[in-house]
Amino acid sequence: MSRLIACWMRRVGRCTAALLVPLLMVTAAYGAEVGSYRGGRIDPQAPAVMVVPQGHNAAAFYDGVRRSLYAPGVTSIQTPEANVLIQSEGNTWRQIRNGPITVWGGWLILAVMVAITLFYLVKGTIKLHEPTTGRKLLRFTVYERLVHWVVAISFVLLALTGLSLLFGKHLIEPIFGTSVNAALLWVAKNVHNYTGPLFGFFLVLMIVRWAKDNLFTSVDWLWAKKFGGLLSGEEIPSGRFNFGEKFWFWVGVTVLGLTITVTGLILDFPLFGQTRQDMQLAHIFHASAALFMIAMAFGHIYIGTIGSEGSLEGMKTGYVDEAWAKQHHAVWYQEITGRRQ
Amino acid sequence: MARMKFVCDAERCINCNGCVTACKNEHEVPWGIQRRRVVTLNEGQPGEKSISVACMHCSDAPCMAVCPTNCFYRTEEGLVLHDKDKCIGCGYCFYACPFGAPQFPNGASAFAARGKMDKCTFCAGGPGENGSEEELKKYGRNRLAEGKLPLCAEMCSTKALIAGDAEVLSDIMRERVLRRGYGAELWGWRVAYGDGKQAQRGQRVHAPEKP
Ligand code: HEM
Ligand code: SF4
Ligand code: SF4
Ligand code: SF4
Repeated sequence: MSRLIACWMRRVGRCTAALLVPLLMVTAAYGAEVGSYRGGRIDPQAPAVMVVPQGHNAAAFYDGVRRSLYAPGVTSIQTPEANVLIQSEGNTWRQIRNGPITVWGGWLILAVMVAITLFYLVKGTIKLHEPTTGRKLLRFTVYERLVHWVVAISFVLLALTGLSLLFGKHLIEPIFGTSVNAALLWVAKNVHNYTGPLFGFFLVLMIVRWAKDNLFTSVDWLWAKKFGGLLSGEEIPSGRFNFGEKFWFWVGVTVLGLTITVTGLILDFPLFGQTRQDMQLAHIFHASAALFMIAMAFGHIYIGTIGSEGSLEGMKTGYVDEAWAKQHHAVWYQEITGRRQ
Repeated sequence: MARMKFVCDAERCINCNGCVTACKNEHEVPWGIQRRRVVTLNEGQPGEKSISVACMHCSDAPCMAVCPTNCFYRTEEGLVLHDKDKCIGCGYCFYACPFGAPQFPNGASAFAARGKMDKCTFCAGGPGENGSEEELKKYGRNRLAEGKLPLCAEMCSTKALIAGDAEVLSDIMRERVLRRGYGAELWGWRVAYGDGKQAQRGQRVHAPEKP
């Protein structure tokens, strides 16, 4: 038993490594870039007494204040953090948001769009190799489809509105002017703020429902090694979900989706004493994870629609043709029909 | 054109909050918002310093840089003002501002419904017609258009807080620092009673009699 688990783990490890390593490398490079921006950090254990200014030059004293080396001051104003004279990390956050998040994020989205378009132009739609049989198999229940479409539609809304908050100034404003951009962003912000929790709730339902069918199995190794036959056109057997879908499920939907949800809720409900630093950090994780997830979603949406004939039908009607099931999910086909091809 | 600036002389500020009150009253600022505040550092300790702070009208303003709707604009005097009609209340300027200047009338509420951002205008109002009713309601009084300087600085009893043309302010500060001689040492026994050597050095301070 333990040998079986060890063997299984090794396989999963290798499968995942194939796609995870490049992703981790990009993430690490991005993290290093973002981490290289240093701001002050308010130290809760900081001494209440600061350096007493010496001589005519109090530069060291105010430098310490600026870098939040000491405990905050005292003020009669009651609003939160009014006692903090300077928070330099505000400007650090600005540099990260307007720097790597906007620049890397923008290029990432653009690169993925170009890559997928090129892929489509070169490879075209993956056609069914055999004519449809007219015999249908139930692939997704009503509940599964409902959950999927709520997540999908809210995701697209959130992505469009979120991206417009980040890029509207660079894309919408130069063409339509500040007033139009501002009016659109007012709508975008409110749509984003209200759709967010809905997305988060249904995302959790989705993860719970599909986690079991997304556990890695030994067949996934083959899929990962051959990249699902996407380049060669081969038919690679897989269970209910193939390795590509599982990768999207765990890395995209689960890890990135939950990161976006948790940080989004922190941004959405500033009612629990969040400081500006909390909001800055939440925003950095939120926007970064969102941009990665949007990039991955392009791939998912492509393969679910024009990329592969018959795939959309399953999520639209709940049923797929036997020919499609045999070609794309042979193991699943055998399991539910009991038939060998 | 003059570059408008605030300077708060921490050697003079006595934390009286007169500037805070003057601002609040002049512009009928909504509840929960103080465009200006006084922060005391090292409170009750040697080296205590009070500083009055509002929007610093930064040259490379973080608020302006992060605003998704680009609703900020810079006036000829270098002031950073904003257009409330274009503000969507996202709060980004508040996260970015080092000085805690931007504030929101709703406070923190669900779905980040923060309302229109409000901050110090250097008593220069906002977009639209100078001195109009609308400007008064949204941004407060436009003193600058009337040739007056910000009220907080005008009201300051110790003239710790000064506002106006940056070059004039620098001259005032330079002169103060020169005359003061003491710099930041203006505190403690030695300053109040001397160290006993002033008489030898021919200074005006009378040294206490040696026992
Ligand atoms: C639980 C789900 C979510 C919640 C609660 C949420 C909440 C928020 C909030 C409060 C903001 C700050 C903007 C503002 O207040 O106007 C924000 C920004 C943003 N969100 Fe979300 N969001 C969620 C999901 C998503 C998803 C799924 C995406 C993308 C697919 C996304 C992409 C973005 C982007 C790109 C920004 C803008 C960052 C910027 O302008 O710097 N969000 N989100
Ligand atoms: S609001 Fe803050 S960041 Fe913007 S100009 Fe004023 S002090 Fe500078
Ligand atoms: S709260 Fe208003 S002024 Fe501040 S960044 Fe958002 S839109 Fe701009
Ligand atoms: S300059 Fe005017 S608006 Fe700004 S703090 Fe002073 S009184 Fe208030």
